[in-house]
Amino acid sequence: MRSRVRLPVAGLVLALTITAACSSRATGSSSSSMTLYTCATDTIEQAVVAAFEKQHGGTVHVFRAPTGQLNARVAGDSRSGGIRADVIWACDPLTMYGFQSQGLIAAWTPPTSQSGIGAAYRTDHFVGVALLYLVAVVHKGTPPPTTWADLAGAKYRNAVAIPSPTFAASALGMLGYFASAPDYGLPFYQRLKSNGAKQVDSPDEVLSGVAQGTYRAGIALANAAYAAQKKGSPIQVVWPRPGAITVYGPIGVTTRKNLSPLAHAFVTFAASRAGQTILGQHGAYPAAAGVPGPKMPAGSPVVAPPWPQLAGQSKDLLRRYAAIFPS
Amino acid sequence: MLRRRHPTRFGDRGPLVVAVVAVTGLVGYPLVRLAQSAGGQAIVHAWHTPGLATVAWHTVALAGVVTAVAVPMGAGLALLLAAPGLPLRRTLVAGVLLPLVTPQFVLGYSWGQAYGRAGFSDSVAGVHWSGLYGPAGVATVLVVDATPIVYLLVAAGLATRAQPDTERAARMSGASAWTALSTVTLPLLRPVLAAAGVITFVGTLESFAVPQVLGTPAGFATITTRIYADVALGGDPATFDQALALSLGLVVLATVILLPADVVLTPRLRSVRTPQSAAVRLMRHRGAGPWVAVAGVVGYLLFAVGLPSIALLAAAVTPAIGVSPTPGNWTLANLRGLLTSTTGTELAHSVELAAAAACILTLLGTLVAMLGQRRSGRVLGAVATLTLVVPGSALAVAVLIAYGRYLAGTLTLILLAYLAKMWALALRPISGALDRLPDAERQAARASGAGPPTAVRTVVLPALAPALAGGWLLVFVTALHEVTMSSLLYSTGSQTLAVAVLNSEGLGDIGPTAALALLLTLLVVVAAGAAWGLFRLATTASSRRTGAAVPEPLLEVAGAR
Repeated sequence: MRSRVRLPVAGLVLALTITAACSSRATGSSSSSMTLYTCATDTIEQAVVAAFEKQHGGTVHVFRAPTGQLNARVAGDSRSGGIRADVIWACDPLTMYGFQSQGLIAAWTPPTSQSGIGAAYRTDHFVGVALLYLVAVVHKGTPPPTTWADLAGAKYRNAVAIPSPTFAASALGMLGYFASAPDYGLPFYQRLKSNGAKQVDSPDEVLSGVAQGTYRAGIALANAAYAAQKKGSPIQVVWPRPGAITVYGPIGVTTRKNLSPLAHAFVTFAASRAGQTILGQHGAYPAAAGVPGPKMPAGSPVVAPPWPQLAGQSKDLLRRYAAIFPS
Repeated sequence: MLRRRHPTRFGDRGPLVVAVVAVTGLVGYPLVRLAQSAGGQAIVHAWHTPGLATVAWHTVALAGVVTAVAVPMGAGLALLLAAPGLPLRRTLVAGVLLPLVTPQFVLGYSWGQAYGRAGFSDSVAGVHWSGLYGPAGVATVLVVDATPIVYLLVAAGLATRAQPDTERAARMSGASAWTALSTVTLPLLRPVLAAAGVITFVGTLESFAVPQVLGTPAGFATITTRIYADVALGGDPATFDQALALSLGLVVLATVILLPADVVLTPRLRSVRTPQSAAVRLMRHRGAGPWVAVAGVVGYLLFAVGLPSIALLAAAVTPAIGVSPTPGNWTLANLRGLLTSTTGTELAHSVELAAAAACILTLLGTLVAMLGQRRSGRVLGAVATLTLVVPGSALAVAVLIAYGRYLAGTLTLILLAYLAKMWALALRPISGALDRLPDAERQAARASGAGPPTAVRTVVLPALAPALAGGWLLVFVTALHEVTMSSLLYSTGSQTLAVAVLNSEGLGDIGPTAALALLLTLLVVVAAGAAWGLFRLATTASSRRTGAAVPEPLLEVAGAR
């Protein structure tokens, strides 16, 4: 028994030694590097990071993940010595309000004169650099809805998919908008449910389902929908009244100890005309007015959720929503 | 049976100390830090979570149903395919094992593509399964996911099964095949079946991707999907802490099930193999029977693996969702999209991590399995299994909290998470095989003058080889396509291939995801094949030197000859 047991012990020590020797070194921030946590898509984030590194020098270490994973990483950091990011670039304001309430975001934004980004996308702690528009998508041949309320009508019985606000931050913004919109409120979700609407995780899954024909209509992101349409997916993109729901992706400097000197420069660059142009070229709707981005039909109606008000109500909203669409 | 010596000197206690340190470091400390982080208040709140009883019931019922179906199915396939004379055996085995190399989220998607509304079967025959999105669909796909694991464990168990001569004696004495199976073969396989049952049950408790993909649209929630939803709201610390507390609830649930099973049940299920040089084959298929069996297995494979795989392949070569997968529309764009300037590095990280995890856990699994011959060791084995039920996202947070201060952004941190999560995958098959290893063989070698290393090399290792290989392969494959923990713990310089691809495209676009599944399948087949070739070379060379029988390799056990 003794020799039988010792063999794996010796092997184990050897394996651990080799593993330790092969392990990569920890990536952290120094005077010539910084760490970015983001949920922006890889294409967009990489383009901005590459342009920044070229212009300013230094290295940007990136952790990119969907909002849920991003939140978990930040929570893990906070419970093990503090946040390890110098800059956080989120995909919705509510996430940033949450970080701000935990004291993780510094009270600083780049000067308005350098960005051209309006007050609608700014707070004292962060600034919106990219916009998302939630629109309706229908499978080819399905009559398009005129208003959001149409999706709860008999014409779309058992045909609609919506994204889950517990999974996708943009869907949480949508929930916030409808909850506070005249003639909608949470009863709108109840009507959708009664009409046979299905809840899936993300707007991308809605888009996949509608393109494939699993659902005939749904709510998805405009830039992803136009990209799929361009590739050949049989869908139609609709901007229903009162308007596509706008969600802005904010960026801010953290309260990390030993903050990298590159942090402020990176945020300034992302909000600058140059940064906004790069965002527009890589498939995001820029937050700065007048900077070209993906397709957006002229005169398309848009609306925005009451973000500051929502920041204090999201938990209660989700609880009430879960009574209609459990997750 | 010789009485086992109890450790009395430090040298004897060394292995126990190593095992205790490993269990503490990989399982105990992260779970304690998780509990500390959640806090008592969150645990109390989690207990009163609205709807908790419903999701807990869903979770336990799902695990029970999947275990009740997958274990007999996997065992039946192993018994069927182990018998010689079965036509197309290699092909059938490859088909049975295919879901093993497919990530769960891909399996869920592929079934949706194959049998959902507007899916493959709907397009071709106008038939779709309306219950796919709901508990029935979740359970079915989880059974398909678990069956190859049961199959592997039972196939490995058959290779070193207890007293094969008894089966032959039963048949020669006039017992029917069914009587020999039910009174001899199955009772002797009980340790393996118990191990398969535990792994399936625990694996289903922690399964996330399939319930999320197929259950959520129908409002069918499990504890893991609830935890994920709460973790996703990490911006609200109270909700996040509640998610961690719910994860600990799963650990408690697993403890309630595993500890009694391991400490009380395992010794009663133990059946020691009689000393012999090689296993004897099960009865040979004769007459029309083989073709009936082949038809049954092929039917299952077509339904469970074939159509979903075809649907996935079609998605991988189609430029956009909803575009008809006719040859005129085929494209390699999704596959090309996987190949970037950093693909080589990311691939190396994936293989390095998977190989390291498989090697270390095979050693740790062997160590704890050997110590498990004592009561104290059995407790260690049960504890080492606890982290298997913790959802990947929560376990990654636990590891980050425990070791992030020192290892954040390194491959080592990801490796620690793999080791914590997958220990049971290596431990259980080895433990099952060791339970049947007779001490008399090793004692005979020692009495004949062999030193301890020689006795281990020539007697113990050959007998354990199929189980060691099975455990290694399970960990390697699981680690290779692991996404949840890696995507939470990586940083620039420690990206794995799966994380990189998912980051670049996201889960919503099935084309790149399908291409990823194909790439990972190819990767697993090549890597596992290479590893197996090396294993065969080493064992053949060893047997030539020692004159001992060559151990039956896993793939041969599985009928791939």
